[in-house]
Amino acid sequence: MNPIDAQREIDRIRDAIDRVDEVIVRLLNQRAKYAIEIGEIKGILGLPIYAPEREKDVLHHVEKACEGPLDGPSMRRLFERIIDESRRVQREAAAANEQRTTENR
Amino acid sequence: MVIVMEKHAAETNIERVMAELITRGFDVHRSTGSDQTVLGVVGNVETIDPREFELFDGVQEVVRISEPYKLSSRTFRREKTIVKVRGVEIGGTDVVVMAGPCTIESETQVFETARRVGRAGARVLRGGAYKPRTSPYAFQGMGIEGLKLLRAAADENRMATVSEVMEISQIEGMLPYVDILQVGARNMQNFNLLTALGQTRRPVLLKRGMSATIQEWLLAAEYIMTGGNYDVILCERGIRTFETYTRNTLDISAIPVIEKLSHLPIIADPSHAVGRRDKVMPLARAIVAAGADGVLIEVHHDPDKAVCDGPQSLYPDQFARLMDELRIIVPAVGRRL
Repeated sequence: MNPIDAQREIDRIRDAIDRVDEVIVRLLNQRAKYAIEIGEIKGILGLPIYAPEREKDVLHHVEKACEGPLDGPSMRRLFERIIDESRRVQREAAAANEQRTTENR
Repeated sequence: MVIVMEKHAAETNIERVMAELITRGFDVHRSTGSDQTVLGVVGNVETIDPREFELFDGVQEVVRISEPYKLSSRTFRREKTIVKVRGVEIGGTDVVVMAGPCTIESETQVFETARRVGRAGARVLRGGAYKPRTSPYAFQGMGIEGLKLLRAAADENRMATVSEVMEISQIEGMLPYVDILQVGARNMQNFNLLTALGQTRRPVLLKRGMSATIQEWLLAAEYIMTGGNYDVILCERGIRTFETYTRNTLDISAIPVIEKLSHLPIIADPSHAVGRRDKVMPLARAIVAAGADGVLIEVHHDPDKAVCDGPQSLYPDQFARLMDELRIIVPAVGRRL
């Protein structure tokens, strides 16, 4: 492969990565929306944001669903960050809902 | 803040720490390593006492990332603070030498000493009117009458004045005569006094307590600065160590450390640190070479007859010689004198 062809090939693959990233971002936001919905319910019912058992299930689930080339532990590490952020949006959603219910009273 | 869990800490222990943090409204970034888990804590972590979490089972260490001092830190303000007083800039290119007697004793003493140190190049005249003496039977100072002499002697030699304030009630009366209010080592953690000085708009020279860490010292400066008075000059004056040969051990390393951590001017006082005249000159040279913004030196026109701290006061001729030596050193560290 000559250098010009190689550069063209790299550009093409990078372009494909950008498309994949767009999909990941869309899906992460979809996931966050669900997390927020749960946060709102937790806020109204006064349930704890932190659900260690559920977090364990999520990590176990993604590890099992992972077919490679990323291995289980790396998928687990990536999802730890996703869960960190989910917890944060849930906390915010729950707090907003708590306030709203207080105001309605 | 970062919480480092012990190696192979039980999952229940990790969960207990996380639950506590999240309940208190913090966000947690969990990072599970192959055998050790680290929790990053995000939020208003100043409200957390790290010891609380160190007591949890499975916690190895709690590390604060941000410094507890804010206004005095370099992170808050990148460029150096220059304290301006009567045309003298402390913290700028010039190394400012402050000199004078430990205690104001008489008109002759103050005027004679001022003339000699002023001629040699000192820009600020020091002199105590209220003396914190170890013994209540020792001379306690001349008070306002002494400050009037200090002011007159400084004016005659076109110098600024620095003098120690001992308590809140003295501040008001000192303002007409004193350009820089000094807080002594013994008062470094007199938080009521510091808060009151924060309400003035007069530069404060804050000496390091003899057993104070650099962090405690900067937090003391913080008390003054939170009142809106940002003109704080830090002064290293020796700390207590196991060495008894000199009165205190001058912590030269505090100079570059403060320079890095804080934007406040840093000067040092070799006279109180060693308490012996023959050691003052080499230390003064080291202070300037280490990059200090100034030196505070005790000079007495007749040290052998001094009421207070005579053995650590330089003779005027010695002081003039020291100034000549400092003039050779300053260009090497990119400063002027």
